[in-house]
Amino acid sequence: MIGFLNSYAPLLELALFNALLAFSQYVVLRAGVFSLGTAAFAALGAYAAAILATKLAMPTWLGLVAAFGIGTLAGALVAIPLARLRGVFQALATLALVQIVLSITLNWVDLTEGALGINSIPKTVGLVGMLVAVVVVGYFLAVIGSSSIGRAFDIIREDETVAVSLGISVPKHHMIAFILSGAIAGLAGGLHAYNSYSITPNEYGFNMLVIVLAMVVLGGRVSIWGPLVGAVILTVLPELLRGFQEYRMVVQGALLMVSIVFLPRGVADTALAALRRRRIATAKAKTGTVTA
Amino acid sequence: MLMQQLLNGVVVGSVYGLFALGFTLIFGVNHIMNMAHGTVFMWGAFAGLYAVMLFDVPFPVAVLIGALGGGTVSVVLDWVAFRPLRKRGAPEFSSIVSSIGASLILLSLAQQLTATRVMRFPFDIFPIVVFSFFGLRIQLLQLVIIGIVVLMVIGLLYYLYRTSFGRQIRSVAFSESTSKLLGINPFAINFQVFFISGALAGIAGVLIGIVFNSVHFMMGEPLLLRAFVVIILGGLGSIPGALIAGLLIGIIQTLTVAYLSAGLADAIVFSALFLVLLVRPTGLFGGTAAVARVTRR
Repeated sequence: MIGFLNSYAPLLELALFNALLAFSQYVVLRAGVFSLGTAAFAALGAYAAAILATKLAMPTWLGLVAAFGIGTLAGALVAIPLARLRGVFQALATLALVQIVLSITLNWVDLTEGALGINSIPKTVGLVGMLVAVVVVGYFLAVIGSSSIGRAFDIIREDETVAVSLGISVPKHHMIAFILSGAIAGLAGGLHAYNSYSITPNEYGFNMLVIVLAMVVLGGRVSIWGPLVGAVILTVLPELLRGFQEYRMVVQGALLMVSIVFLPRGVADTALAALRRRRIATAKAKTGTVTA
Repeated sequence: MLMQQLLNGVVVGSVYGLFALGFTLIFGVNHIMNMAHGTVFMWGAFAGLYAVMLFDVPFPVAVLIGALGGGTVSVVLDWVAFRPLRKRGAPEFSSIVSSIGASLILLSLAQQLTATRVMRFPFDIFPIVVFSFFGLRIQLLQLVIIGIVVLMVIGLLYYLYRTSFGRQIRSVAFSESTSKLLGINPFAINFQVFFISGALAGIAGVLIGIVFNSVHFMMGEPLLLRAFVVIILGGLGSIPGALIAGLLIGIIQTLTVAYLSAGLADAIVFSALFLVLLVRPTGLFGGTAAVARVTRR
């Protein structure tokens, strides 16, 4: 068991990091916000943590608080103009945000070391730390998800007109979703910086955006299990497909298309729905009631 | 110096406008944010390039083949990535995701095909003629590009607003189900829209490949990102808006590179997008009808 853990620890840590990013993407998608800004928020968190640790020699907890804080702040700031926009425009603007952050991290060399990235960050967060973060964030999201905020998110996603007619403020809930997404991604970035020794700007570019989006689309965006399942599948899959290295992007692209076309609700949500149907069917068979 | 920079900005801007035309057409008609438009553009450029390399065709034929190639890829893209979603009435978000997937596939295939090389059109594909006037310098090719962009905008506007096909396209853009009731076949309209959009992208691909003297699998990505800013600034699906916003972005970018720093250009261009969304989300040419589609109150 220990040997297994040791040899697969990097993969597990990557899966947990991906799960956190997927949570951040999941929150916005669940609320019907088409934000693609997770990569940008994660970059801000990672750089805040890394700069505090390497340049100012701050303790780990302070770096993580800073990462969490800057992510939250960025989410809130972005939400002010974007919460009142419709889907496609939110997607475009957050894509632009990713580019802005990328261009700052690439070009503000004094602070961010430019394209080389920040190296030799002390590794202070291990497998356990990542696992605790995923469990805490997941639990928190599950609690929020079954509260009135989660219900409001679901209605807004399914039909905005209905949501408005029920007196749910769409901009307000979109803002909450943006802030949650920013906070989770910022924390994820900070943890990753303390976990992986080095960070570079291009890690947090378009590729991350696509992968994270793919995780949630593939996994599902209603239940909390969706992002987890998606993160695990898309972390393990590239390892299994190592022989087809050149075709990794083709596989990823095909996976995105196939899942949005044939499995629009995602693996986890479809499976949960099927399970629920079966439970209802068996309950009906037991009680012997016949419904027309 | 400033005049020369402005002129360069106009050239760069018309390239952006050229690229954004097809993008804004699909956006206006099908309300699809086609994230694969950059790869359609790139495949158009490759179609033209391979035609030149294998059959030694002259410049106008290469442009035509580029248009044909881009159009074909775009139509196939519509069939594979967007039609199944349209049939189901899936939300806008699905088509964004699906087009991202399609763009990954098209990008990766091109990378395999060219073995990640940067390729070039032959040196003599277009004669290098430089005009000088009032101390400004401009190449014949740059003039040709500006001319083609203007021609395309006029042609597209004529097609959309003065022909029967155009009226059908506009009615599908307004409401697909209503146009079905009026006896318009949305299948044929979507075919047209995607082919025209892809052909415009293909022409742009060949021209830009010649101007910048390089054709490679990533050539569409920076332009695609600029095109987002262009269509938001220009206004939802507005064709003159795309041209004017393209010029503006081109000028802003050239001036930033010339007088501030090259690294800042991206940050400034994309911050402009945020500013527009904050101050006037419908863009320069978005009418009152666009307000409801952009914002919620």
